Amino acid sequence: MKHSLVILSLSVLFVGCVPAPQPTIGLGTGIGIGTAQSHENNGAYGQPPHLYATAIRTYFSTKLKRASQAQYRFKPPVKAYKKKGLAYGGGVAWRGWLVETLVATPSRTGRLSTPKPHMILFSGEQIVEDILGKSHKLLVKVE
Amino acid sequence: MANFNTHFTVAAGASALVSATLLSMEVVSPQEAVVAFAIGTLGGLLPDVDSAHSKSIKVGFNVLSLLITIMLIFVKSSTYSLIEMLIMSVLVFSGIRYAFLGFFRKISKHRGMFHTIPVAVIWAIVIAILCQWFFDLNSLISWVYGVMICLGYLVHLTLDELYSVDLGNRRMKKSSGTALKFGMFKNRQQQVHTAIIYAMIPILFALAPDMEMIQSALFSKDAWLNFKDIILPYDGRWFFH
Repeated sequence: MKHSLVILSLSVLFVGCVPAPQPTIGLGTGIGIGTAQSHENNGAYGQPPHLYATAIRTYFSTKLKRASQAQYRFKPPVKAYKKKGLAYGGGVAWRGWLVETLVATPSRTGRLSTPKPHMILFSGEQIVEDILGKSHKLLVKVE
Repeated sequence: MANFNTHFTVAAGASALVSATLLSMEVVSPQEAVVAFAIGTLGGLLPDVDSAHSKSIKVGFNVLSLLITIMLIFVKSSTYSLIEMLIMSVLVFSGIRYAFLGFFRKISKHRGMFHTIPVAVIWAIVIAILCQWFFDLNSLISWVYGVMICLGYLVHLTLDELYSVDLGNRRMKKSSGTALKFGMFKNRQQQVHTAIIYAMIPILFALAPDMEMIQSALFSKDAWLNFKDIILPYDGRWFFH
C-alpha cells in the first residue's frame, strides 16, 4: 500500500508540475480549435501581415526538399501568442499573427504527399517561427 | 535474462534501423534522427532501472545523467552564467544519477512493474509531454521521441523474455513470463499497482501533444506509400542515381 501511495503521489505531482492545458490552435475543422479571451490590447499584436503568402513561399523555398514543386494553401492570419518551454523559463515568448498553412511537396518518386499543416508565426511582415502540426501546447489563439 | 551488452547492442541496432527509416521517409531531419537513435538506445536500458546490483546500469545511468546535463547546459547557456550552469549541472547530474536511480530502486522490485508493457507506454507519453511542454518541440518530433523510447523499452522486455527460453534443455526458465507482461495480478498490492499504472495513461494523454501528425506520418495510407517508395531504388538503378 505504501508503494501504491508513493506511485500515486508521484503521478499527481508530475501532473501538477505541468501547467493546465491551454486552448490550442486547430486547422480546418472545429476539432482542436481553442480560443482564449484576450486581456491584452490588440495593439500588442501589431499589424497583421499582408504579404504573408509570398513570405511563406520564400521561407519554405530554402527549407523544404523539392520546394519548387510545393503547393500551398493559406488561411487568413489570426492573433496568437506562444509561451516559452518550461525549460526556458515559461512566460510569453512571442505575440503576433499566425498563419495556418498547408504545404504539399512531392516525394522523391514524384508522388504528391498529403499536405502537411504548418503554423507560421509572424511579427509584422517577418516570419519568426514555423511549427509543424495543427496545434502546440504552448501556443494560444486569441479571439 | 539478457546482459547489459546484449540489451545495449540490440536496442541500438533496432533504434538505428527505425531512425534511418524515418529519416529516409523524410519524417525527421538528420539531426532529429540522431537524437531519436540515442533516445531509442536509452529506452533499451531503462527497464533495468529497478535492478539493485547491476554494475552496467550504473554505467548506463552515468551516460544518461551526463547527456541530460549537457542538454540542459545547451538550453541555458544563453541566459545562465558559468557559476549558475556549474551549480545546475552538479544538481541535475547527482539528481538523476543518485537520487532518481536510488529512489526507483527503493520503491521497485526487479522484474516488477517496470517490466510491463503499460509502463513502456507511459514512458512514451511522458517523453512526448516533456519534449513539447519543456523543450518546445513540435507534436510530430515529440511523439517520434516518445515512440523511440517505447520501442527501446519493448526491445528490452522482448529480449528478457526470449532469454527465458532454455534452447539447450528445451524448457522455460523460472524467469519466463516476468518480462513482457501487461501487469502484475498475483496479490492485492500488485493489482492496485497495475490499476494505478493503467489509470495514469489517460491522465497523461490529456497533457500529451496532438497525435494527428504522428498517426499521419507513421500509420496512414500515405505513410505506407511513402515507406514503399523507399524500400527499393525508385528509378530502378542501384547505387548510381
